[in-house]
Amino acid sequence: MGAIFYIVRKTVKNAVIDAFRHPLMLVMYGIFFLSIISAVLMGYANSTATYSVEKDTRALYGGYLALLHFISIPIMLKGLSSGTSFFSMSDVNNIFVAPMSEKKILIYGVGRQLASMLFLAICFSAYGGMAMNIFRLTAEDAVWLILGIIVMFILVQMMTLMIFCLSSGHQKRAKVMKYIIYAIPVYPLAVVGIYMFTNGMTVENLLYAVSQPMLEYSPIGWIHGVIFGIIDGNYANIAVYGILLFVSLIACILVFVYTKLDYYEDVLGQAESNYAFRESLRTGNMGESFGMSSQKLKDSNIGIKKGSGANAIFYKHLKEGERRSRFIFLNISTAVLLGVALVTGLVIDQIMDGIYRTTVIYLGTTIICSYLQFFFSAAGDWVKELSKPYIFLIPDSPVKKLIMASATSIIKPFTDGTIAYLVLALIVGGQIPDIVTSILVYGSFGCVYIAANVLAQRIVGMNGNRGVFITFYMSLIFLLMIPGIMLGLMSLSNAGELSIIAATMMGLPVFIWNMIISFLIFLMCRNLLNNAE
Amino acid sequence: MINVSHLTKKYGRFKANDNLSFTVSDGEIAVLAGPNGAGKSTAIKCIAGLLRFSGEIEICGHNNKSADAKRILGYIPEIPAPFELLTVWEHMEFIARAYRLENWEERAEKLINRMELDDKRNKFGKELSKGMQQKISICCALLIQPKAVLFDEPFVGLDPHAIKELKAMLSEMRGNGTSVIISTHMLESVEEFWDKVFIMMNGRIEAERDRKIVEQSGENLEELFFSITEKGK
Repeated sequence: MGAIFYIVRKTVKNAVIDAFRHPLMLVMYGIFFLSIISAVLMGYANSTATYSVEKDTRALYGGYLALLHFISIPIMLKGLSSGTSFFSMSDVNNIFVAPMSEKKILIYGVGRQLASMLFLAICFSAYGGMAMNIFRLTAEDAVWLILGIIVMFILVQMMTLMIFCLSSGHQKRAKVMKYIIYAIPVYPLAVVGIYMFTNGMTVENLLYAVSQPMLEYSPIGWIHGVIFGIIDGNYANIAVYGILLFVSLIACILVFVYTKLDYYEDVLGQAESNYAFRESLRTGNMGESFGMSSQKLKDSNIGIKKGSGANAIFYKHLKEGERRSRFIFLNISTAVLLGVALVTGLVIDQIMDGIYRTTVIYLGTTIICSYLQFFFSAAGDWVKELSKPYIFLIPDSPVKKLIMASATSIIKPFTDGTIAYLVLALIVGGQIPDIVTSILVYGSFGCVYIAANVLAQRIVGMNGNRGVFITFYMSLIFLLMIPGIMLGLMSLSNAGELSIIAATMMGLPVFIWNMIISFLIFLMCRNLLNNAE
Repeated sequence: MINVSHLTKKYGRFKANDNLSFTVSDGEIAVLAGPNGAGKSTAIKCIAGLLRFSGEIEICGHNNKSADAKRILGYIPEIPAPFELLTVWEHMEFIARAYRLENWEERAEKLINRMELDDKRNKFGKELSKGMQQKISICCALLIQPKAVLFDEPFVGLDPHAIKELKAMLSEMRGNGTSVIISTHMLESVEEFWDKVFIMMNGRIEAERDRKIVEQSGENLEELFFSITEKGK
């Protein structure tokens, strides 16, 4: 274990030294941590005010449970796929060949993974302040909520370890495990769904459904049970779910200790792929095969068939998209957007009444969906293109190349928005201008996210530090969209009384601003494709 | 013709290329040789227009970053980077479309056959071995019938047949008047066809020799290389 401790110690020490060698990175990290601390402090300061209304934490119950599932299920599925995110290529090359126990090496991998996840928990502390304000929690409650997330990370890592031990080298077992993991979120969804369908789609019923004690019967729910047991002073819950958590942790450790492990072969291929993935993340050059399986082609499906000059990049992207998914522009983000739009729309529908009902629905859903879009707008096709030399070598105008390379990423949010808002319109109705504007605004935010990415690539550089890049990218998004939102608010306030198409009145200036600023950035950054660095 | 004039490439204070100037004439095969870290790949990437630099680089009289230069420049990178979701044949189609080539199919067919990729034509880039990916890179670069070609360690990962074919292709390119630069430290692989050699060390060209001069002096490429790179050791 000495060698492993040495690696850990040296890695931490050198990371600190490296941070001091890159002052810009240090400043960015400083800003990041300061913003989290200030968010926490502001949340605490605001929450000290006294409230006359009784607090209703039912939405928090549901939201927190959803968050726990949202984070834990992908981690478990990834662990199942070979437990391989634990190791880097340098681990494979240097530690796997060393005369060390495979179990110790696995502990090292899991520990390292856990450390990186705890960093995420720090990020969640910023939301602690927000939760204190919205749900009128005490600072102590917020700390318990964050601790719950940390416990969840630990439990999920231990469960991932157990899953990996049990399924490594056994495809059938892995398949069964996969179905079990899928069942974990299906259970609470089914409980809420059944309640809503049998008792009616009202906000009150939704709040009741998401706060039912039976939602805590699954392993992820146990953490929820303990944390809310502490917050609500429910000692029975703390005892029952605490014991269940403790026993499950012991079970995970026992499985790990008594399983004969031979996982190097499983890990090697994935570690190579992870290495390529991390390298591409570090350099900003995303490959396109991550998570892809091979597929057989029909003769009729071979060939790009269209395009010339820079256009060829766009048609190539269409072909690649077709191969990723049968429906080129439809994927999980389309489904999530549709779900969020419907839930938000239905909730507002229950709260609002009168002539302003639909316009407020479109206003509310557009704000929430545009915010969420940021999380889906990661590496588009154009970013992946930067990892190949061809885009730099093609003899065509750089602006045209940039626009054509981004075209699929620009079309995607407009497609998602069209589907989501048309379905929403079928359910809640609404004015045609509001529906169209919502689609346009949602799509235009996609353009702003891409433009900010282009600008950040141009300024920070493609091979720069990813932490600096992401902080800078997020700041740019904020700066770019503020004027549009201000214009929208001005347009709304100039109208005097609230209009029945308020979403259109506010949305149109936002859409126009977003499109203009995005195009200007594309124009300014045309030289991005002059250099691959 | 490839004309490099006062090429300097800095990373911070470090000069990866320090005031390089050289010319590769039409129909000439030049070798950029040097130990690891000498700056060969950086120079190749600068010539390919992938990096920022100071100085001037011209490809057949066009600035290397212009569309006119790109149209006639072939580049085979050190690490092959095919599109993972395009088939071998679609790589050819993409290049033909992007460079607006006409009547390219027969040429693509020949290149694919010569590189023994014909039975892999419907395989995705990601399904190919590194050597085969390298072969795609070569096919893509040569499909445009370039007037100048840059090879960065082209023989790494290739099988003996592909090496033989590539050498034949290089001779053909010389016959067609194409300027070729090959960056390598595998000197024996270029021994039989080089015309000019630039030996690089620490970002600078330490020596420039024509084949005739080296042969007249009774030296070979390897002896010349070691006499320069191990000078003073």
